[in-house]
Amino acid sequence: MAASTFCPALLPLLRINCKFNGVYTRISLNRRAAYSLGLTASNGVERQGLPERGNQGQRRQRRAVEPRTERMTVDQDWTAVYPTAASFKPNSVPLPVRMGYPVKRGVPPAKKGNLELIKIPNFLHLTPEAIKKHCEALKPFCTEWPAALDSDAKCEEHFPIQVESKAYVSAGPSLRNPNARIITLTVKLSSLNLDEHARKKLIRLSGERYNKDTDTLTITTDSCPMKQQNYDYAMYLLTVLYHESWKTEAWEKEKTRADMEEYVWEDSPSQKNILETLLRMRPLGEKEEEGEVREELLGRVEVQEYKDSVTKLKNEGETETNMQQYKEAVKKLLNI
Amino acid sequence: MASSYTHVGRQIHRATKLVRRDVKDALQRRYFGLGSATFQQPAATVSGSAEEIVIPRKKTWNKEAVLQALASTVNRDPTASHYVFQDDSYLTPRTSAEFKLYSLAQESGRTAAKYFINTYPKYFQKDFANPHIPCLMPETLELQVNEVSEAALIERIQLRKVKAAVDMYDQLLQAGTPVSLDLTNDLLDLISLYGDCDPARGDAPEQRTEEMGEEQEDVKRRKGMPQKASDFLRLVWRENNNAERIFNMMPERNRRSYGALIRGMVKHGAYSKAFNTYTDLLNNRLTGDVHIFNALISAAPEVREKYVEKWDLIVDLLKQMAEQKVKPTLLTFNAVLKALRRCGSLGRTQAFPVINEMKALGIAPSLATYDHVLGIFYKAATSAQGHTEILQDVLSEISGKSFTAQDPDDVEFFKDAMRICLATKDIEQAYRVHSLLGVGENWKLLGDSYYQSIYYGRFFNLLCMMEHIDVVLKWYKELIPSLYYPNSQGMRDLLQALDTDNRLDLIPQIWKDIKRMGHDNKTELVEEMLSLMARENQIPEVQQSFADCALDVKALYTQTDRRVPLSWSAGSLSSITSILLAAERTQQAWEMLKLFKLANRVPSESLMNQFLESVKASNNAQQAVELVQISASFCLSITPNLMERVQQEFDLTEEQRNTLSDLESSTAMSD
Repeated sequence: MAASTFCPALLPLLRINCKFNGVYTRISLNRRAAYSLGLTASNGVERQGLPERGNQGQRRQRRAVEPRTERMTVDQDWTAVYPTAASFKPNSVPLPVRMGYPVKRGVPPAKKGNLELIKIPNFLHLTPEAIKKHCEALKPFCTEWPAALDSDAKCEEHFPIQVESKAYVSAGPSLRNPNARIITLTVKLSSLNLDEHARKKLIRLSGERYNKDTDTLTITTDSCPMKQQNYDYAMYLLTVLYHESWKTEAWEKEKTRADMEEYVWEDSPSQKNILETLLRMRPLGEKEEEGEVREELLGRVEVQEYKDSVTKLKNEGETETNMQQYKEAVKKLLNI
Repeated sequence: MASSYTHVGRQIHRATKLVRRDVKDALQRRYFGLGSATFQQPAATVSGSAEEIVIPRKKTWNKEAVLQALASTVNRDPTASHYVFQDDSYLTPRTSAEFKLYSLAQESGRTAAKYFINTYPKYFQKDFANPHIPCLMPETLELQVNEVSEAALIERIQLRKVKAAVDMYDQLLQAGTPVSLDLTNDLLDLISLYGDCDPARGDAPEQRTEEMGEEQEDVKRRKGMPQKASDFLRLVWRENNNAERIFNMMPERNRRSYGALIRGMVKHGAYSKAFNTYTDLLNNRLTGDVHIFNALISAAPEVREKYVEKWDLIVDLLKQMAEQKVKPTLLTFNAVLKALRRCGSLGRTQAFPVINEMKALGIAPSLATYDHVLGIFYKAATSAQGHTEILQDVLSEISGKSFTAQDPDDVEFFKDAMRICLATKDIEQAYRVHSLLGVGENWKLLGDSYYQSIYYGRFFNLLCMMEHIDVVLKWYKELIPSLYYPNSQGMRDLLQALDTDNRLDLIPQIWKDIKRMGHDNKTELVEEMLSLMARENQIPEVQQSFADCALDVKALYTQTDRRVPLSWSAGSLSSITSILLAAERTQQAWEMLKLFKLANRVPSESLMNQFLESVKASNNAQQAVELVQISASFCLSITPNLMERVQQEFDLTEEQRNTLSDLESSTAMSD
């Protein structure tokens, strides 16, 4: 056992030797022999790296644990399992969910290790049960609704301006969320006191912020850093729009026909044309005053009908009814 | 025009008034901003319509109220592990050792991070947190002020550097600058608190100084096996250490100086010295304060031997306290009761008067008070004779109340109460104690994970003993493993309970849990389980599940890859074999029989008989002969009996008869 006794002492030297030479020398053969001679104590100390690695490989295999869904009862409290928004955990959700592109001639992959299920947002924390519980818990923070405001119409009537703002809660190093400063103010123009000119001017001033279908003006402000500042700015904008739309500037007189928002029949080429046509149609007779003839012609019912139909066509576009109306009106006018 | 303008003005005014009110109402009505609405708006009414619209007064709440309200809707999940761990089945701890390891690993990660932040503060100056969180910023733990001055001394005291502070003080005195009395008192407080040693820095690896090393050995030698790590760090008040030296050098001393010294002495075990110092205090015509008296009362049992003397000393101290007009506090009374625990039967008579005094003074008792009372009345050695009402009275008094931590001994209450319930086998009181845990903030007083494991261990033990198996299983699912990892004794209790209520069919499930919790290397537990399974025959499905379980256990004995396998014993081998036989897995049973030889164990006679029965059922004569041969090889006394039975009950060929007769002769010769 001489080899066994001297080898451990020389081992560091031998290692250095081998590294230096870069080849396996006979000394290294001896070293390997010393290892295999069963120096159990030094083996344990020096070769601690390799057996552990083997163990770890096996340990990793051994740790196939049953998921905790096995232990969940059917009537458990789900709100305790997912109390807050969390990503999908396949070992905590006892549902056999599948998601993803199906394997060839197969089915979508199962939930274990499925990244698709983890990527998407889930609402496991907001089951109807949970929402009921949250509502119950939040009721003490609420005040009573005023009894007199029992319909939407009344709310509109007494409180025509609506202001929306959002607050954000999230876990992170900072509480602040820059999106919390945005304020959206909506108001129906019918509840504001505007005459025709003011209304048209207001609509023109607000541009994209006005929605014709619902007749609402929406002002969204986010230019200031704080919510209160944005709110003040939105109110200021509303006030300024209102006052400016009531004012009439000097240059507004120069509004031409091309600037008009809708088609007006008076003084339009259509009116001129129809008057000329009707005048031509009248039997040649006495020369009357142009003005009276015009008035009389314009007062006629058929002409009014014609005017209505043309205005409708121009303003609303071509529809079946409009075209029919126009056809009837023309027929009546021209006595066809 | 003018009229139209005024008309417009009125319109605008009315509109804006509406608008302003509307906005605030809309805010309140539609969306709740998170907190910090600090103005109270009076209830406003909108007039000018047929009905009055009364807008209610807006409520205000503090910043966390909504989150707390939502959090109150969440209960505990019994299948989940502790919240600090990742909720993944590969990453949750399954045994108590893993629990400790993982939580320590998390803590060590945090301390490592804190260490880096504090050691290289210049890289961590940017503040992400809004609002500012001071504890996340780097702390300066190094000394800034280095010249000899009072400011340097103040800094060292604040940073808790005891030796550096003492050195700075000495330097100041040598330089001739007088140090103010308050500052000297602060220094004395510091030295007395830390016993004249530097406290270990929280985030750095422990520096073992020589003194600490010596003292640890002293403590070890004196105490044998200390239970907790804190015992290792108990320091001894050395003779003439810095505190005493500085104290003696002080030109004038006030009550605070004496107080620091007395409290330090009591904390570090120099009790009689503490009393001497107190006498000095009185001789200098100063009065004590409540902290001094608390310390002396807690030291009183150490300086006297007999119960009566101890009590007399305490009463004397209390009288002096009254004379010096020092008002007692909760800690005073708790110290008295704690001392009474060591006064034997005298404690029982004096405990209630003390409590009545306390109530008369209007001091609300804390859990430590009740713990001391229970400790006085329920001594470990004495049996419960008529004292059971005390626990019930205590529980009735504190039921429904929520306690906060006011005394370091508060955390002992729950585990001691459960110990008493276990000793008196009182399951009702145990339920009451457990329900007390659910009230308010009491869960915080259950202690660290070690205390929790003791508490739940005792609770589960009592349940297994006293309750029906269904209740036990319900609690088992509730407590394990989310709150408590039972040790092998706990699992044995559970097996006992299963046995008592005749639910042995649940054993395979329990075996799965045992394996998961890592108790499958405990031979007594495994053998007990096997013997329970093997004891009687069950209905076929159960028997099959037992057989599968038994094969699983057998695998444990034979696998050599990961660790030292269990060693076979006669009992375990026999149990597994008889289970397999009863489940009619004869092939595997025969393999087991071979294992007997390999493991050098002898099978029992009943096992042989069982084998014979099964062989008869399959009517295999060859196997019967083999059985007799095996029995002969073990020199079992039952061999002749077996041989007779085989010869009679089986049709044997000539060879077999010959073999049998050879065997007969060989055994006859050996006899």
